[in-house]
Amino acid sequence: MLSMKNISKVFKTDLVETHALRDFNLEVNEGEFVAVTGPSGSGKTTFLNIAGLLEGFTHGDYFLDGINVSNLSDNKSAAVRNEKIGFIFQGFNLIPDLNLAENIEVPLRYRGFSAKERKRRVEQALEQVGLGARMKHLPTQLSGGQQQRVAIARALAGEPRFLLADEPTGNLDSLMARQVMELLENINQSGTTIIMVTHDPELARRAQRNIQIVDGQVCDFTMYQPNAARSASHSSVDKLVANAQG
Amino acid sequence: MFFYYLDLAWRSIKKTPMLSALMIMAISIGIGITITTLNIYKMMSTNPAGEKSGKLFAVQLWSQGPDAWDRFDPQITYQDGFNLLKSDIPRLQTPMFRTGGAVQTEDPAFLPVLQSRVRVTNNDFFPMFGLEFQYGQAWDDSVDQDARYEVVLTDELNKTLFAGKNSVGKTIYFNAKPYQVVGVLKPWAPSPNYYDLNNGAFGNVDTLFVPYSLAPIEEYGSWGNTNGWNYESINNYAQRLTSEKHWTQFWVQLDTPEQVAEYRQWVGQYIEQQKKLGRFGSPKADVQLSDVDQWLAINKVVPEDNKVLVGLSVLFLIVCLVNMLGLLLSKFLRRAPEIGVRRAIGASQGQIFAQHMVEVSLMGLFGGLLGLAWAWGSLMLLTKKFDLESSLTHLDTSMWLIAPMIAILAAVVAGIYPAWRVCTTNPSVYLKSQ
Repeated sequence: MLSMKNISKVFKTDLVETHALRDFNLEVNEGEFVAVTGPSGSGKTTFLNIAGLLEGFTHGDYFLDGINVSNLSDNKSAAVRNEKIGFIFQGFNLIPDLNLAENIEVPLRYRGFSAKERKRRVEQALEQVGLGARMKHLPTQLSGGQQQRVAIARALAGEPRFLLADEPTGNLDSLMARQVMELLENINQSGTTIIMVTHDPELARRAQRNIQIVDGQVCDFTMYQPNAARSASHSSVDKLVANAQG
Repeated sequence: MFFYYLDLAWRSIKKTPMLSALMIMAISIGIGITITTLNIYKMMSTNPAGEKSGKLFAVQLWSQGPDAWDRFDPQITYQDGFNLLKSDIPRLQTPMFRTGGAVQTEDPAFLPVLQSRVRVTNNDFFPMFGLEFQYGQAWDDSVDQDARYEVVLTDELNKTLFAGKNSVGKTIYFNAKPYQVVGVLKPWAPSPNYYDLNNGAFGNVDTLFVPYSLAPIEEYGSWGNTNGWNYESINNYAQRLTSEKHWTQFWVQLDTPEQVAEYRQWVGQYIEQQKKLGRFGSPKADVQLSDVDQWLAINKVVPEDNKVLVGLSVLFLIVCLVNMLGLLLSKFLRRAPEIGVRRAIGASQGQIFAQHMVEVSLMGLFGGLLGLAWAWGSLMLLTKKFDLESSLTHLDTSMWLIAPMIAILAAVVAGIYPAWRVCTTNPSVYLKSQ
């Protein structure tokens, strides 16, 4: 699914060279839920940007879905991002002037879907995150947790193979964080591969695999097996929807 | 996607109304001034001869002696005009000059009106320059041969004399002599007045036409320029007619290049003949045939000042565009975080660039429309304050298309750099910080 081989990323100024990633190697299989942790400045966000084709890298090879995406043109990178990758950001990054439906249909427009198809997908995605009744609301009219769910709906609307989440619960209180995390787990269970950067060890433990990055290198892998406690803590999407609507 | 970009552009303009208004105002002022000067320039440089432009030729003769002007004079002598009429090569040809005098009707209650724009010409003038008749027709060929007192009125003068009614067959008095009206023209106002540029190129159209054949009889004075290159004692009209003074214009219609060459050769032979008679003393003695375009250029109908003014207004437009560029840069870069999100979720640089180009085009369109209003206002002001001819200050219909097009083009030029900056910005920089 995702394969990074000896990736290096160097930021250069006149005075210093900063190695954000060095000889970074990672394999993520289809359907995995991977949590990426590490101290601040360790290279987590750089890794996520490279994985999302938002930034280039200095050395190495990057394969996504078996295709070498190391040197794609801007147009091709944009198409790959649009079709294969969904992004969830800590700050939600919804466009404030657009209502929820319009926010969600942005990537669908770039993909060239018809109005009818866009409408279908927008409705489906909003229903999936429990906000089907708030299509015409502006982001500012929602709570943080709801905004993040809209962001998740936007990421899901294009039916990506691959979700990249950068501190998705970082701006949320614990209740909302738990709801968002449960939503991500459900999405993962439906087959979408998720890579989530987080500082929260509790959240990281809920992923199937935890990768720790230190000084731009993967320094530790921990494989978590789904256990009874984790299963019990899962809420179904239905329950989430019921909570949201309630 | 175009309509999506248009929707985003409209939202963006509404979101920052002051900034957008400033940009639209900047471009509209530039466009307003450019269109004002361009309109005057265009009206001045219009060739009103249309499709006949390449077939009508002004004839100039270098008939002056060796120590006279070192150029072709715009006019020729009466005797040369008289002689050139003997050529049967041109399909149509006419000598002419301007005169003037008092005009009145048979109605004793009607006070005479001074007409300073009376054209002395022959009947070829009317088909040559495309004049159409409202009533009647031109006098016939026999009048040009035998001199009868017949006239053609313009619509304007017919309104003054006969309240616009059919006056064919009626009598008018020109300088106290009775003339029969044989034709009334449809409204006609070539701008510039290319067939006679001696008396000003604009707003100077003739109102009454009298036969050239009457000139020696009625001794019409020239109300235009008379140029002389040597001293001649002229004591009567007959001496004026045989003098070397240049005071008549001469136009021919030559339909093919072969006719032009043949006519040029014919006039060349005429010049050789005249040399034997002691005229055309300069070694440069020659003929110059100029079609209407060439004629307008030779006579500098569009003054150099006007071209400079257009250039200056374009420079002013550039200054406005530089201002707009700065404002656009500020507006677009402020939107960089949103663009970062759009890029992250699948917009290519090209799509972001196109989105911004549509936005600047929309602002350009608004600026162009507002600029048209400025131009219209400026032209009205010029008409009132400086008493300019309305033919020059009338906002040409083509400007309704040209102004928005220039405005959109200018806005797009101003928007290229800001749009390029925002679409090439690394999106990841803004995703974390938004």
